[in-house]
Amino acid sequence: MSLLEKFYFFAKSPFEKFALGLVFFIILVAILGDVIAPYDPTQIDFRGKLQPPSMEHLLGQDGAGRDVLSRILSGAKLTIFSTFSVIFVVLVIGCSIGIFSAFAGGWVDNIIMRIADIWLGFPPLILALGFAAALGASLEAAIWALIFSWWPNYARLSRMITMDILSKPFILGAQVLGVPLWRKITFYVLPNAFDVLIIQIALDVSAVMLSISGLSFIGVGAQIPAPEWGSMIADGRAYMSSAWWVVVFPGLAIFVSALSFNIIGDALRRELDPLIRSS
Amino acid sequence: MNYFFQRFLFSILSLFILTLITFLLSHVVPGDPAIVAAGPNAGAEKIELLRIEMGLDKPLSQQFIIYTGKLLQGDLGNSWFTHQPILDDLLRELPPSLELVFIAMTINLLISLPLGLCSARYSDTIFDSSVRLLAMVGAGLPIFWTALILQNTVAAEWQALPIAGRLSFEYRSFDGYTGFYLIDSLLLGRPDIFWDTLRHLFLPAFSLCLLFTAVGLRITRTAMISEFQKDYVLLARTKAASELRIMFKHVFPNGAPASLTVFGMQFGWMLGATVLVEEIYGRPGIGRYAVKAVTQSDIHAVVAVVLVVGVVFLLANLIVDLLLYILNPRGRFKE
Repeated sequence: MSLLEKFYFFAKSPFEKFALGLVFFIILVAILGDVIAPYDPTQIDFRGKLQPPSMEHLLGQDGAGRDVLSRILSGAKLTIFSTFSVIFVVLVIGCSIGIFSAFAGGWVDNIIMRIADIWLGFPPLILALGFAAALGASLEAAIWALIFSWWPNYARLSRMITMDILSKPFILGAQVLGVPLWRKITFYVLPNAFDVLIIQIALDVSAVMLSISGLSFIGVGAQIPAPEWGSMIADGRAYMSSAWWVVVFPGLAIFVSALSFNIIGDALRRELDPLIRSS
Repeated sequence: MNYFFQRFLFSILSLFILTLITFLLSHVVPGDPAIVAAGPNAGAEKIELLRIEMGLDKPLSQQFIIYTGKLLQGDLGNSWFTHQPILDDLLRELPPSLELVFIAMTINLLISLPLGLCSARYSDTIFDSSVRLLAMVGAGLPIFWTALILQNTVAAEWQALPIAGRLSFEYRSFDGYTGFYLIDSLLLGRPDIFWDTLRHLFLPAFSLCLLFTAVGLRITRTAMISEFQKDYVLLARTKAASELRIMFKHVFPNGAPASLTVFGMQFGWMLGATVLVEEIYGRPGIGRYAVKAVTQSDIHAVVAVVLVVGVVFLLANLIVDLLLYILNPRGRFKE
């Protein structure tokens, strides 16, 4: 069964199917945003400053007369892809540390996990803020900052799974057959870890997305003319009392994306968790 | 006693890792701290002088020892946008933030615990699914966006609550001993000021807590569901104990500790998330201080906020863990 079919199978209610559709739509927009945007997202038009939603500009125009819809569409790639890159890097780094720790065992494992436990606890947003400030404000800095504060999640999770798999009889069998370490990791551990990791990823997407846009809102992420959703809200704040659409629509974009990923994550957890518990 | 000792040791270890992280942030990551400390307009000689003065010509391990030594003396350096010792700044900014987080936490608990309990009792009903949907919606809301929208509707449009600040204009000269206006107003016997402070706190606290309430609600629900499946509930039912009694006298005290740990962690996370709220509501506090410091690229002030939030986080966790230990007789009798 392909991954796509699997996802579709897991979405039980029409509500979840709708959320799944939204997730694909959002990813599509993130890829094609610049092409389908009706206007140039950075085109300044002072005569159209703060014009309300109309037939020409469906979601209105912002403080510099830029088309809000085009900015949201072309900004999708900034928010979505930075979220995915955070998750991807964190997944690779976290899992490497976790699997290493599980295989190493003993005091090495103990020390790594203690550090991960402690690190995990510290408020991620403020840790990321500190790191982004140290690197100098930019979207890349925000991405690195979140990676810096998010890795222990995956280290702990992958270590737990690996420990669980290492206690299985088929690993003992592999040991007897003389299967090399790298084969054990790639063919024994990783395929078995897939389900648990995919749940964690689906649930983390919204949290990372909210953090990225939050950092951009504060001013340490994407810088203001960039159509990142969080910085669009920061940009529109001053006009909010007279032109609500400048703030409401980008926020709605963040909210809808985060919510759809949450719904999918929840469905995945419901469908896959019993398997994990019985194993 | 053994447990207490271990728990303290863990806190000390955590504190050490926290200082290691802040050291990394202030000394290693920014490249050359001397350039940062000297400010944007400094010349080459001044930077060289600062480098020696700050001990940056020494190896990193030695620098770390100097750094922790200074921290132990309460020396966090000077902020170069307020031109004051950072410690003084933080001590001034911390009370309003803690006040905000306390109120946010209260709202959080008042929503999460009862709703979580009821939704566990009536799990898989329409009530339960709507609570879960609400939790999911809450987990998707960007804090800063909710804050802006609430400020513009509830406060500005409907004028139901104050828009910004800590106190109304007529109380602007109010000053207390502790910096916590809620406590000060009571100490000075001014219920009107207490009420005014509370009104100013409500919107920021509410927008701050929503995201955390979504998580808290979920955790409470899961913890309570597993309690409802236990044998003592069945026993209580066969004794024909009333449903209210089962919920509040049996299940709640047994299920609450599991979620209490999460609420303890949330306290520190909320303090960190004040960076998203305080500026919007024009409240003084370490969140707004951190944001200002970031825009002025005052790295030492930012890192000091990271340190303080981390310490508050550790303290909150320590208190919750010790509280749980004292509350739970099983832990005491095991030794």
